[in-house]
Amino acid sequence: MPSHTSNPSALGYVCVYRPQAPITPVILHVPQPAEGERKDHVEPIISTKALKKVYRLGKVDVPALRGVDLLVQEGEFLAVVGPSGCGKSTLLHVLGGLTSPTDGQVCVDGNDFRLMSDADRTRFRRHKIGFVFQRFNLLPTLSARNNIAIAQHIQGNGFNPHRFEIVTRMLGIEGKLNHRPYALSGGEQQRVAIARAVICEPKILLADEPTGNLDTENSQVVLDMMRELNRTFRQTILMITHNPEAAGVADRIIRMRDGRIISD
Amino acid sequence: MVNKLIISNVLHRPIRTAVSVLAVAIEVGMVILVVGLCHGLVNDSAHRMEGVGADILVQPPGSSFLIALNQAPMPIKIGDRLAELPRVLAVAPTLFLVNSVQSLSIIYGLDLASFDRVSGGFVYHSGGPFQAPYDILVDDIYAHANHSKVGQTINLLNHDFRIAGIVEHGKGARMYIPLATAQDLLGAQNKASIFFVKCTDPAFREQTADAIRTLLPNYSVMQIQEYMELMTSNNLPGLNYFITAMIGIAVGIGFLVIFLSMYTTITERTREIGILKSLGASKTYIISVILREATLLTAVGIIAGFIGSVIMRKVLIGLFPTLPVQLTWDWRLYAACLALAGSMVGAFYPALRAARLDPVDALAYE
Repeated sequence: MPSHTSNPSALGYVCVYRPQAPITPVILHVPQPAEGERKDHVEPIISTKALKKVYRLGKVDVPALRGVDLLVQEGEFLAVVGPSGCGKSTLLHVLGGLTSPTDGQVCVDGNDFRLMSDADRTRFRRHKIGFVFQRFNLLPTLSARNNIAIAQHIQGNGFNPHRFEIVTRMLGIEGKLNHRPYALSGGEQQRVAIARAVICEPKILLADEPTGNLDTENSQVVLDMMRELNRTFRQTILMITHNPEAAGVADRIIRMRDGRIISD
Repeated sequence: MVNKLIISNVLHRPIRTAVSVLAVAIEVGMVILVVGLCHGLVNDSAHRMEGVGADILVQPPGSSFLIALNQAPMPIKIGDRLAELPRVLAVAPTLFLVNSVQSLSIIYGLDLASFDRVSGGFVYHSGGPFQAPYDILVDDIYAHANHSKVGQTINLLNHDFRIAGIVEHGKGARMYIPLATAQDLLGAQNKASIFFVKCTDPAFREQTADAIRTLLPNYSVMQIQEYMELMTSNNLPGLNYFITAMIGIAVGIGFLVIFLSMYTTITERTREIGILKSLGASKTYIISVILREATLLTAVGIIAGFIGSVIMRKVLIGLFPTLPVQLTWDWRLYAACLALAGSMVGAFYPALRAARLDPVDALAYE
């Protein structure tokens, strides 16, 4: 029944970089492969094989992922849809290194999670992953500026004002940087959260229901931002959503049920 | 950036911050004041004894250096034999009486003429020497504490004494009565508790002390510098245990409050710790944030403790002028180190717990 496959060419999407015009006229530096370097097939940035995750609740084992095979190419915008409890968030947490898989293979940007300790996965997450959550998850005591800057601080590369300016301008939050989260609307908070997630130029942006707490208008703004990030930065995005309209923004949609991918 | 996070966290919960700072301040203040009071009492007593001006102290056999405890009197005629020794300038027989009215204090029963020869004489702020058997001299600190004036009557040892003079402090006791009166009150006629011996030159202390030991083989003969060396809190029975116990209680208070404060902080900020972990913060980073927050609270508490101890000292001295409280910088430093160490130990477990939180569980925390 699962339609996922280990053969990228059979996935039905183009896995080479295709530059597209940005929505807003922001001048960005986007690394582009030289003509001679272009390939029809590149190594997937995410690959899982027979990925399983079992949670133990008391004396009961609860399987959240029952063997997920997935390949995602760099620069892809992927939406994961499915009913509650189907394992979407668990998949996101495993791919982000927040939790370890129980069984199976997970390889993200060349890092095999089976060989990585908890500290290794933390280091990996620091440099390669950006998270966006449904509940924004901003630090309530810090201003928007510091909520974004702390990601750079944790990464350890110091404050990069150029990148900061580009990201905040693109997300339209330059005027809100001195506000604390409680003084921002939901849409603004989520845009700050996206800025925080991408400020360190992560390889992959993992978004868990990014529009789940937003009204239609703000949802569209956030989705547009993510689409734009994908296009302008060639940002790989894996977005979990219940919203079919949100999923429609993505290049590719996979559906999950009972811990498995049922369509791709 | 971490500093901004810590400061904003600290300011975000002002009551928790205030309670933590107050606890550390009490801890630091308690250590400084208890030690200051103990050392102050011991040092004050030692310096007042030194202020008598004697070179050698002669006490009955088996006496303690805690002269207040020695009331077993010696025949006063021993003083005449001491005075006949070469290189002895003066001998002042003195009888100690313990006064327990209002507070515990020592009254010197002294022969004013010989005591003046040993000490160089009292400096009178007002009044003058004894005029009658039940006259008393008090020092200026006692007079200030009790609002005493010359001519006023005070009841001590179940007798009324008229204040004949108020003298400069620093010569042994704070109250002095005539030797004969002290002997009558104690029923120790022609007896003395101690002989203060003044040499013709301080350089002769050693030789004179040896001569006295030869003359009075079983008696306690001590040079004043030996006495000063003995009068430390280390040599006072039980005092060190008391100080250690008080320090232990103070550090325990600081440790527990910081522990509880940081523990509740971790619980309250579980989600925020999850956010930091999702951003890639390592265990060391999380521990560092928690310990630095505890350090900030402790540092503010230490400063508050320093200020509080100075204020408390002024209050104590205002209320009880005879109570010496010595605040020393080495004990301030020691108290600060103790508070910091206690806080770090108290904050370490919560910090470790925070670092070990599962990021998925932490992010799902409500």
